[in-house]
Amino acid sequence: MIGEISHFLSLSAVVLLSLVLIFNFFFFFSKAYPNQVTLSLRLFNQACWLVFISFGMYVYLAISDDFSIAYIASHSNSQLPVFYKITSIWSAHEGSMFLWILFLAVWSFLFINSLEKDHPLKKLTLMMLCSIILGFLLFLLLTSNPFERILPFGALEGADINPVLQDPALAIHPPMLYLGYVGFVIAFSFITAYLFNGNFELQWERDIKNWSFVAWIFLTIGITLGSWWAYYELGWGGYWFWDPVENVALMPWLAATAFMHSMFASSKSNVLKTWTMFLGILIFALSLFGAFIVRSGIIDSVHSFANDPERGLYLLSFSGLITLLAMGILAYRLPSLHSSKLVVTGSKESFISMNNILMITSIFSIFLGITYPLIIESITGEKVSIGPPYYNTIFSPLILIASIFIMISVDALWQRSMPLRILSIVTVLPTILSLFFVYIIWYTTNIFSILAYIGIFSGLIILFSYSLRTINNIFNKRFINKGSAIAHIGLGLLFFAVSMNSILSYEKNLNLAPGQSVTVNESVTEFFFKDIKVLKASNHDVISAEVFLLQDKKSLFLNPQKRKYATRGQITSESAIHASVLKDTYLTIGDQLENGSWTFSLKINYFIKWIWFSAALMVLGMLLTIFKKKMS
Amino acid sequence: MNQFLRFLIVLLPILILVFFARVLLVDEDIKFSNFKSKSFPEFQLNDLNGNPIQAKSLNGIKLINVWASWCITCLVEHPFLTELSDKNIQIIGLNYKDSDTKAIAWLRKHGNPYLFSIYDPRGDLAFDLGVTGAPESYLIIDNKVLAYIQGEMNQTKWDNIFLPLIKKARQGS
Repeated sequence: MIGEISHFLSLSAVVLLSLVLIFNFFFFFSKAYPNQVTLSLRLFNQACWLVFISFGMYVYLAISDDFSIAYIASHSNSQLPVFYKITSIWSAHEGSMFLWILFLAVWSFLFINSLEKDHPLKKLTLMMLCSIILGFLLFLLLTSNPFERILPFGALEGADINPVLQDPALAIHPPMLYLGYVGFVIAFSFITAYLFNGNFELQWERDIKNWSFVAWIFLTIGITLGSWWAYYELGWGGYWFWDPVENVALMPWLAATAFMHSMFASSKSNVLKTWTMFLGILIFALSLFGAFIVRSGIIDSVHSFANDPERGLYLLSFSGLITLLAMGILAYRLPSLHSSKLVVTGSKESFISMNNILMITSIFSIFLGITYPLIIESITGEKVSIGPPYYNTIFSPLILIASIFIMISVDALWQRSMPLRILSIVTVLPTILSLFFVYIIWYTTNIFSILAYIGIFSGLIILFSYSLRTINNIFNKRFINKGSAIAHIGLGLLFFAVSMNSILSYEKNLNLAPGQSVTVNESVTEFFFKDIKVLKASNHDVISAEVFLLQDKKSLFLNPQKRKYATRGQITSESAIHASVLKDTYLTIGDQLENGSWTFSLKINYFIKWIWFSAALMVLGMLLTIFKKKMS
Repeated sequence: MNQFLRFLIVLLPILILVFFARVLLVDEDIKFSNFKSKSFPEFQLNDLNGNPIQAKSLNGIKLINVWASWCITCLVEHPFLTELSDKNIQIIGLNYKDSDTKAIAWLRKHGNPYLFSIYDPRGDLAFDLGVTGAPESYLIIDNKVLAYIQGEMNQTKWDNIFLPLIKKARQGS
């Protein structure tokens, strides 16, 4: 019964949203209804509340183990802790789409009600938000209905959530990511409304600035959590795989990062406005593209949901329509969008516009990486795959050029060119220091990889220029943009850590019987496989190995496990990780061989913690920027 | 330049759109034709009594029915399957993610329409076959999967999907 009510509420939201759209469409220019906006807003708010309540009831259904609902029966289980019963909702296509719509409604609801009462763009923004939510709700109810019942008899027990998803990081990874993806619907709708409206005197940046910043934070956290989870749960020992679905999350992130920078330029000095609008539209278009890639099943990936061409077609046509509408109106208005001012060479804006171009190039390269195999397949029928070498080769030079601009721009000013004298001071010291460090790293490790050293150098010049500038300004009591400094130091650290990780990390595969011990190398002088035990937990069996390592004269105890889950019979591997500041010791247990010995995979991963730390710095920098805005 | 840009920002999305629509639509056709010619996956499993299954036992016209003791819809279609086996249709069970003791008890209680049941507790064969859940039924003629349905088997589905193919195969041989 509650299932039906929840279903009915979602349907009612569809009706209300359609009403708002039809009403506004037919009486768009009419003066007969002075309260048009107020009325539409009220209806829209009610529709949002219907979605909220409907989702809330669905959560209740999941908690109360209503296995007559097909979706819950196939993704939850009565033995699960309540927390995972809730998160099982977004463990597959239908439920995660529902979550996506919930967030769409939340963002839209908050934003539209935060606008002043008679904001000139309110009506058009409302219509945009309304059609986007409506489009997705229809998609949910028509092609992927999570409310469907198993008739005539429900299941007695649920089929369980996929065990690798029973993890706190993964439970919050999708909501964070979706909050990020969907948050840019605000920028998208508002910019489109602005373009439709055609009054270019309006200042639109300040209304959406903080919303976009918050969405960026969610997107960054979401991507980082996904990467973190992959690192310690999947047992592959890596944090980024250039998987198509990671790529479709990275593209909106790059666009969003470019968008925020561009927005500073456009709101501070009235230049790059068209760029900013284009990027604002692009972010959400890329989010839609991501949803399409993941949910249509045209690309095989760890993340892809069940294949269904019908869903793919719907999503493609809907996102295509929305994107074309926005791009079309941008193209139409392009001639009247001319900035009256030119970008001054050597000013902050000029560096931002350079990096805009670089970011778009990266986005395009990733896009090509995703689509190239499809293009080839559709022309020649051959299957090709594009992997990390492609991305590493493409990204190294892009990162180098971008880093040089970031380094130079540390002292750049808005609207004013920077004197050559300052330029040399800003660049010479960080460059020399970085080259020196690269040389030291090369000398001590004796490993040479041109791409990795480009990455290290790029990271270091950003790190040095921003840290030196910050220290200098603190001593001289001069103004420092804390948010920007921290975020860029985070970025430098990220480049540095990722590149260092790629040259230093290594992997050893070992075969040992219980009781045996071996020497791995100079660092890991003893590897002692003490014992293996079989334990029972509530919903799985555990095979747990006890391993003692003598690493760098310190002894470590590691406890890698394999779990076999009862309901699905799936086997997962729980790596044992000992993390220190510089490196992680990452041990995974493999299969038992016929002679009774076990295989182990020992990975030594360097600078992993620094990667998470640098992402945290970027988020912190962004938070400071928002906070500073609020205070002033 | 501006004209070109205007053109470009509209044209690019359209091109992408058309390309992906093509990929989607073509893919569907390939999937359909692939399905027709799909041969039955190789497997090494036992029946419910622990006897290994001979590959040749799948020759001829066979209906493979995916079932489990925990599956309620399986109970719904059970009388119809019994009816089919009374009409000399050879049905092989694929016992899916179940325990053998429960499965044997279930057959004892409700009757056994199957020649034998393949015991697939981990769903290995089911995975290769493309099973998404129980019940599902596959029509196999000489080791080739010719048709399948998801969910409960009934008279309409039997008449519309399976029977024409069986008649055609009998005429052919």
